[in-house]
Amino acid sequence: MNSNDLLRTALRGLRTNRARAAMTMLGIVIGVASVALMLSLGRSFQSYILTQIDRFGTNTIDIFPVGLEKFGGNLDSLTLDDARAVARLSTVRSVAPVIVVGKPVRFEDEERSPMVMGTTREIFGNYGLELEAGRLLDAHDDDSTRFVTVLAADTARELFGDIDPVGRRVDIGGFSFTVVGVLKGMGSLLLQDLDSMVYVPFNVARSITAQKHVTYITLKAAADPQLAKQDILSLLRQRHRIRNPENDPDKDDVIVRSAEQVTSIVQSVTLGLTVFLGLVAAISLIVGGIGIMNIMLASVTERTREIGLRKAVGARHRDILWQFLCEAVSLTAFGGAVGLLFGTGMGWMLTRVASRFLGEVPFALSPVGAILALVMAAGTGLVFGVFPARKAARLSPMEALRYE
Amino acid sequence: MTAMTPPLLETRSLGKIYLNDDVETPVLFDVSLAITKGEFVAIMGPSGSGKSTLMHILGFLDTHTSGDFLFQGEQTQAFDDDALARIRATRVSFVFQAFNLLPRTTVFDNVLLPLLYHPTIPTSEREARTNKAIAAVGLTDRATFFSSQLSGGQKQRVAIARALVTDPEVIFADEPTGNLDSASGAAVMEALQKLNDAGHTIILVTHESETAAHAKRIIRLHDGRVVEDTTSFKRRVANENTKLK
Repeated sequence: MNSNDLLRTALRGLRTNRARAAMTMLGIVIGVASVALMLSLGRSFQSYILTQIDRFGTNTIDIFPVGLEKFGGNLDSLTLDDARAVARLSTVRSVAPVIVVGKPVRFEDEERSPMVMGTTREIFGNYGLELEAGRLLDAHDDDSTRFVTVLAADTARELFGDIDPVGRRVDIGGFSFTVVGVLKGMGSLLLQDLDSMVYVPFNVARSITAQKHVTYITLKAAADPQLAKQDILSLLRQRHRIRNPENDPDKDDVIVRSAEQVTSIVQSVTLGLTVFLGLVAAISLIVGGIGIMNIMLASVTERTREIGLRKAVGARHRDILWQFLCEAVSLTAFGGAVGLLFGTGMGWMLTRVASRFLGEVPFALSPVGAILALVMAAGTGLVFGVFPARKAARLSPMEALRYE
Repeated sequence: MTAMTPPLLETRSLGKIYLNDDVETPVLFDVSLAITKGEFVAIMGPSGSGKSTLMHILGFLDTHTSGDFLFQGEQTQAFDDDALARIRATRVSFVFQAFNLLPRTTVFDNVLLPLLYHPTIPTSEREARTNKAIAAVGLTDRATFFSSQLSGGQKQRVAIARALVTDPEVIFADEPTGNLDSASGAAVMEALQKLNDAGHTIILVTHESETAAHAKRIIRLHDGRVVEDTTSFKRRVANENTKLK
């Protein structure tokens, strides 16, 4: 029996019992769909997060006190002088200290609680923020401690509605600020909504909060982010009198993190998560495979006379073995293809839904994952088809023909 | 046949014991017979006489447990599973009492089936051979019908077409008319008769004398032993003698 005959015989075997074939396939369809869904979701969210980080540029570096990341850690370890000292390093540029002002913002009767950031004009370049109307903050605003503010898109819309905010006054924590600019909508970044922000000059924030330390510092590396990180760390250790030649992060009172580093963390976390979820989904494939085995065993019993007949007209042991294996593999491969389409479709739909809440989540299809899911499905057929196929092939023609 | 040519099928003191859960059931004892090419043999006997078992052994569907079974003078014990499958694919074929057609499959595909396993007939010849075999049993107009849409007689003719599609030397028929009315049975026997006329060896198992009457030789079994082996000529002489008495 040649391979062409084999495939046709197997497909005919499945066609003559469509309902059973479909029910058997269901397990594999669900298994592969869930594997495909998990893998494509993993990839989609990874590329979503990485695209977000890319908007910053990989040479963005943030310096923040350990207390921002570790509960109970020092929150006051960074000062404006630190920021100024860092700015003098040759390996960095565009240094922007940030003080977060925890005050509500009000225009007439509308009150909102966006994040109010006291910072310098460098931050707009560092975060890739673009102007929609008016102007950005400049050095003059800071030097003269002007009570002016730039609003992010959502905050502007929520407070002002259809009114043009530029030139109007808003109240921030009891102080009156003139709106000088409105930013374009940016979406969110690492689950932080960039469009619910209010920017005020650094010195203004300092004076209204009476805060000596800065909340964090953001900057760009002039060239190599690794080099810049090293320079910043050794400078700050020197300034904070911390001896840490062994680079033990537990000894430092600040954390210096580059976007590059965040990228690799995100990559490894999403990869780990994808693999884990993929494995969980793969369990359903195994369950599907056991289903295949059961149905194929039932099918062998039901078709004992057919097997006997095929042997009587000259089928060899291996012809029958291959026929049943081929049926199982066709079933699982086809089920795998259907599951792949289904899972990918679900993944696409979920990314569309997520896009409504998180900003554009790109849909990423994982070709390796797709091939893997198909191979796993066909492999399931092969593995779980062997036992029933061997059982069929071993039947003696006479016993099989006599079977009632 | 010259003295140099061995018989097509030959058994010498052949025996068969079935083993079921350590219980031995002897079915055939000391069966010695030789069948030459072109014969039309009926194996007769009451049920339980071992006639079907003998046919299955002669047709390579089953194996004997003692004595010798020779195919064209060659000991068959030496044949492995593949060799037996090859003989079933190329040299012998079967017509069963229960037809054994594939369900939900057309007449054409049922008749085609043995060609899928034939080692030498090329794919390009399949269609022509299948159509020829279907035509030979007069079912050309039913070729696209499903087996379930046929009458019993038609089903058995499909089974005969399937048996002759590979042009085998021996066609075995196990109670081929057993499930048929007399008219259909007669048509089936006529088809087998034609095959015998065309040179095929026919070995028929039956317990109906009417069916056996088509055969030129009758081997009668009783309790697993051959109790009679006569040609139709001898039978006629014997019959004449009885009448004369």
